[in-house]
Amino acid sequence: MHTAPPPKKALNAWLSKYPSEFGNYGHLLLEEKQAADANLQRDFVPYFESAHLDARGCFHRLARISLHPDAGDIGCDAQYPGSLPLTARKGLFGEVMSGMMSETYDFVGKHEYLIPVFLFRNHEDAGQYIYTLSRDATRTREVLGRKGDDFIAIVVDEEDNVTRFIAGEAKWRGNWSPSVLNTVMLGDKIDDPADKTKRIHNGKGVWYEVNRALPVPLGLEQLHAVLEECEPDKFAKVIASLDRILARRNPDPVERTDMILLVGGPPAKRNPGQALLPWETVPDEYKAGRDLQVVELLIADGDSLINTIYASLWAKEAALA
Amino acid sequence: MPEFDQDRLDLARAIQNDLAQERTLSALQARSFVRCLQTDWDVETIQWSANDSDTILQQSRYLIRAGKVLSTVGDGSPEEATLAFRRAGELLEWLARARDRIGEEIPTALFAAGCYQLGGLPAMASGLLRQVVPDDRGSRLFADFLKADFDAVLRRAAGFWNDNRDLTLRGVEKEFFGEGTEESVTWFGTIELVRCIGLAAQTLRRGDTARFSVALDRLRDVERLLVRTSPDDVALLAFFLRSACERFGTSTIYEPLRQLGLLNPERLLDVNQFARRQYARGRGILWQSQKQGIERLLNNSSFALCTPTGSGKTLVANLAILKELLILRDNQEGLAPLGLYLVPSRALAGEVEAKLTGELGRDFVVTGLYGGSDWGITDAWLTSASPTVLIATVEKADALMRYLGPMLLARLKLLIVDEAHQVVLEDNERERNALAEHMNRAIRLESFISRLLLRKPNIVRIALTAVAGGAATPVARWIESDPDAQPVGSNYRSTRQAIGVLEVSKGSPRIELHRVNDHRLGVRGRGDVYIPLKIDPMPEPLSGIRNSLNHFTQNSILWTALHLAGDDRRILISISQRPELTMGWYAEAFDLAGWEDIPAFDPPSEGDDAALFAEARTVCIDYCGENSHELRLLDRGIATNHGQMPQRLRRLMVALIDRSICPITVATATLTEGVNLPFDMIFLPVLKRTMFDVATQTPTEYPMSAAEFRNLSGRAGRPGAAKGMEGLTLVALPIAPSTTAAGQLGTHRRQVRERRNEYDSLIARLRADAAGDGNTKSPLTVLLRAIRQQALRLPGVDDNEDFVRWLEVTAPATISADAGQARATPAARLADRLDELDTMILAAVEETEAISAVAATPANTEAMLTQLWQLTFTQVAHATEEWMEQAFIKRGRGMVETIYPDATERKRLYDYGYAPHVGKRFEPVARTILEQLQQTVGYGTMRPEARLAVFIALGEAVADDGGYGFSIRDTEMGRTLYANWHEVLRWWMAVPGAAGPAPQDLRAWQIFTSDNFEFRLGVAIGAVVARAWSQGTDDPLDTPTIDTWKDVTGLPWYAFWAKELLRWGTLDPFVAFVLSLGIAKSRPEAEGMRGQYLAWLEEEIEDLSSEDQIDPSNLLSWSKILRTPEAPAARRAPIAAELAGTDGRAGRYAVIPVRSERRIRWLDASGFRLAVSAIPKDFPTGFRQPNDYDLLIENGEASVVRTF
Repeated sequence: MHTAPPPKKALNAWLSKYPSEFGNYGHLLLEEKQAADANLQRDFVPYFESAHLDARGCFHRLARISLHPDAGDIGCDAQYPGSLPLTARKGLFGEVMSGMMSETYDFVGKHEYLIPVFLFRNHEDAGQYIYTLSRDATRTREVLGRKGDDFIAIVVDEEDNVTRFIAGEAKWRGNWSPSVLNTVMLGDKIDDPADKTKRIHNGKGVWYEVNRALPVPLGLEQLHAVLEECEPDKFAKVIASLDRILARRNPDPVERTDMILLVGGPPAKRNPGQALLPWETVPDEYKAGRDLQVVELLIADGDSLINTIYASLWAKEAALA
Repeated sequence: MPEFDQDRLDLARAIQNDLAQERTLSALQARSFVRCLQTDWDVETIQWSANDSDTILQQSRYLIRAGKVLSTVGDGSPEEATLAFRRAGELLEWLARARDRIGEEIPTALFAAGCYQLGGLPAMASGLLRQVVPDDRGSRLFADFLKADFDAVLRRAAGFWNDNRDLTLRGVEKEFFGEGTEESVTWFGTIELVRCIGLAAQTLRRGDTARFSVALDRLRDVERLLVRTSPDDVALLAFFLRSACERFGTSTIYEPLRQLGLLNPERLLDVNQFARRQYARGRGILWQSQKQGIERLLNNSSFALCTPTGSGKTLVANLAILKELLILRDNQEGLAPLGLYLVPSRALAGEVEAKLTGELGRDFVVTGLYGGSDWGITDAWLTSASPTVLIATVEKADALMRYLGPMLLARLKLLIVDEAHQVVLEDNERERNALAEHMNRAIRLESFISRLLLRKPNIVRIALTAVAGGAATPVARWIESDPDAQPVGSNYRSTRQAIGVLEVSKGSPRIELHRVNDHRLGVRGRGDVYIPLKIDPMPEPLSGIRNSLNHFTQNSILWTALHLAGDDRRILISISQRPELTMGWYAEAFDLAGWEDIPAFDPPSEGDDAALFAEARTVCIDYCGENSHELRLLDRGIATNHGQMPQRLRRLMVALIDRSICPITVATATLTEGVNLPFDMIFLPVLKRTMFDVATQTPTEYPMSAAEFRNLSGRAGRPGAAKGMEGLTLVALPIAPSTTAAGQLGTHRRQVRERRNEYDSLIARLRADAAGDGNTKSPLTVLLRAIRQQALRLPGVDDNEDFVRWLEVTAPATISADAGQARATPAARLADRLDELDTMILAAVEETEAISAVAATPANTEAMLTQLWQLTFTQVAHATEEWMEQAFIKRGRGMVETIYPDATERKRLYDYGYAPHVGKRFEPVARTILEQLQQTVGYGTMRPEARLAVFIALGEAVADDGGYGFSIRDTEMGRTLYANWHEVLRWWMAVPGAAGPAPQDLRAWQIFTSDNFEFRLGVAIGAVVARAWSQGTDDPLDTPTIDTWKDVTGLPWYAFWAKELLRWGTLDPFVAFVLSLGIAKSRPEAEGMRGQYLAWLEEEIEDLSSEDQIDPSNLLSWSKILRTPEAPAARRAPIAAELAGTDGRAGRYAVIPVRSERRIRWLDASGFRLAVSAIPKDFPTGFRQPNDYDLLIENGEASVVRTF
């Protein structure tokens, strides 16, 4: 379970913040005051370890014990998540940062978010492999359904009833140029069916996913399952509350805040304080009508930050081993 | 209970209550079901939106979640969650079968199957997955696992490892977690899932509990991983796989078998092999109903198992046999233990025999005894030292008791009563008359079992019944001899059964469904559920057919059936009476105008099916003739079956149906009462029987009882075998007159109304029957009440006291001079009913003397009957009235004191096996028969005419008596046949040149033959032969053998064969012999072999006598030389192997072969390579995994041996 507090001091030292809130739209731009240094990395490690602890336990159990019939046969000396390829780690980083942001900064509506556990869903479509038993499946499973939310945090009231979720998308890009931004938000470019000479976005970007996201985030089911498995007593009331929400039999309203985290390198031409997305008014593309929180975390040398953090996770343990 | 658990349970219960009440579908749910049916039937579906699909999917998700909570939280139990999972399964199944687009997004069929596993409906799971086969490789693997088809799981796993050889190497995990690896963890999850499932499949079927736990633990870990990293549907799939795996672990047949094995460790190997064989048959995972039965079995008590058809009762019976006869066998005991398996019909005896031989034949002698009253050529079990299972009708069991009582009881350890609800009797005139005519099975069952319990109260007994409701509890009380007993059972169903009507008109037929699994099916506010069939209207027939609404309706049924028979559907047209009429109509229908283009039947052209079909055709020609309706229908792919069909042909017809060679069957209730043959659709043309009461000369109509209908519709449904999961029972209802003749319109309109009313009334009775338990009637109650009612009308019998006094002194003969002749006058009926009561009492008296050596004094008899009464179904089922016990006991006293005071006479009458008064009348005839038998010394060399004359003389001795003699139906045909019975016999015994019946008369001839030659003449001869044997031996424990039979009886071999000859319809013992041993298939084939036998005999015996020719020991010796000694089973030579991927430290590893072109890689079932070897000669190709192999490391040498 995730227990570490967010490294607020380190964040303040590292980042300048430009928060704004108009109606039910919150925007937070975060810029580096200075490049990330060793101290920052050190301060981040406990939080990252806490976020990855649950998944790490799962992976290690599977990796280190083999089904090989020779008794006591050990599998391999697995190091999750450190040994994952960089692209995978970037995905994880975005999710952890989503959590860290929502626990650290005031978001629209000023709710206090709780992240019992990080799920790290949707690394890739597991269904592709599982249903076809193949890594290079020619079959494309028709994804009619929603992709699901990358990250979920909850708000509980004083009675431990869940009253709100925050969920949404975290995107990492090395350089948030306008064209990259448009592709992320509006989808890949395709030929314009109306005019073959033009290229347009296919409309299947982040806005599309956020707009059609369900009031009850996808993935809540799994969050619920992990709570039941790991902390049934501590979260007894939350679990019971989630029961009602999942069954659509909740007497009290439960609301959702949509979150979009854009993280990575700033575009080349950019003035300080200049946001990627509009901040004074809700962007036109957003149609869901719920609370929306956008966070832009613009950092220069993200790759090395990620590499260093992930190399430091459980470093002591590795050294002792 | 942790805080808030109660809230969670309450919520889950509320959801279950809202969405999954048993027998209640919401309007949307019902519409979803209807839509799925319509999709299956390829007809236009009701209006349905994507929103509806979403709602149904949501409901299923709510229910799955509720099910999880109910089964795991607080005091929750898997049982409580059953309804939630079942309904979730249904909702998903209906989406899957309706090919809903949601299925492209999530695997609805797999999820439905998972729900059904958790809801305790494994057959529904496998049925659905057989029908909706997933496209993808992984989905198919999971489908096989959810179907508990472990051989298929291993086959697919082997294919996977063959394609991914790098993953079979030890330490492959490094590729996923080592430094700088690029392999995806999600792919790792997939691989681990395959490992777990393969290992679980293999360890389950091998009974390796230790490694199964390893696989299951691992599966839990994989589920945890997938929950965290995968989309909802994958996480849910992992949940279903893990939960199903857990269920398999707790439901494996090894578990109870090993507990049984603990009773006698010497038998542990047998027990394990039995379990492994069950897995090979796909029955290794026990169903809930079986678990309940086995639990009782382990607790060492008798019980009644009451679960619907197809819920696996036979396995429970098999385990009982295994336990009582093999595991608990005391090797010190000299006599081999015996189990008696009572079946309701001779046809079922054959089926059960075949089934049990297949499963238990290695360790047991299994023998079906098919009626008759003495010993026959197939009775070798008597002297076998192996544990023996006798499968017999109650009539045969009664005969055994008379004939071999002491020996039988000394060896008998176990009684299994199949279809035990048949002890319940309806109280109506038809049954009361059957009692008077000594033709009622229910009272025989009550009498036999009660007497057996009296003689051997500690015998282990198990009643099996498919009929829930009314009869189950009384049967349980009876079989356990415990007034508080309850049946073991569940409302488990392996199929979904729908009841409705087939609307017959001049347009296309239409199906209308009304009930599903005992609840009403309708779409609220929208009325009944219709399926208009896409079948052209039947071509308008000529007026001859049109003018008979019945004929028109029945032809319409055939028309419909012929068009539906594609899609591998198996259809039964169930006829309540006069099947010959329907068969004739159907045979002719193919020649009608407009029927030329109906789908043709292609008989199988090769393999076993072709051989079977050819055999059936040969036998059909032999017994029915070239022009018979039976043959004409068979050639159209229509099997026929009725009670009077010769046994041999009937069994072949059943085989044709069972193997789906004939898609359509026309049969009477005898088929469905007896044999467990599922159909996809059952059509009923009528719902009543008309009986002609000879006494009143009026026809009486008997509507089909709810119980009979239930039993019949219980045969509908073979999940997954055909298109559609529902077994449909459809009553054909004409909705308009078929005639165009103005004069007949009125009659037709009335008939249309009547048929509808009959159907409505049936539905009302079914509803009432489902609601509560009816008033159970016992045979003895019906009999005693009928006797009393009639007696109270006699002068001087005014009250109960008079009645009892009357019972004590009245012999049947003093009531009516016609007694014992099956006459229909009230006085004769009373006398005969009393004689029926005497049958039971006399048997009890004689068995007490013979078996327990207690003299039959009046006082002893009263005491004995008092005890017996306590053991009757009547008493235990609370079907009794106060006066009955006294009446029963006093009648017994009267019998030994006044009516049959002579002990030797009583013994004689008992030996004959008739009701005592009938027996008394039979005595002089018995002497005549005995003399005739004694004189028939030269039968072996007689010419056919002389042989026939012997039978005619025997027939003449009994023919004209209504009691023990021929039964003649009071119809013109009946009288004609009786007048010409010599000719009928000549035909039946296949005398060369004999004339046979016209096709339309065939069944009447068959009825006459089976009633009178096979049964009545056979019984008379058997009674005399049996009596001769008893008189010839002093030792009550003596058993007949071929060596001693002739000396003991003092009879020529003809007497040994006579009954057998009547049964097979031949004058030649050789023919009967080869038919009974299955050496020849038909009489002509058997005759063709005779020369071979005679040539052999002449070599063997000098101075061949007539008796030598038919000496059974000679026939047996000859038959032994026919059997070519089977090549000894190819020795399972060890396969030399080289270790690869292990150092062999464990010494022994369970492995699966993965064969490639050049070698076999031997893998642990989790996918790790352990050894490689060359490919031995004859090693099967492909990845099929029917066998178990062990890798052995001994003295540094590795080899692989096949262990199963």
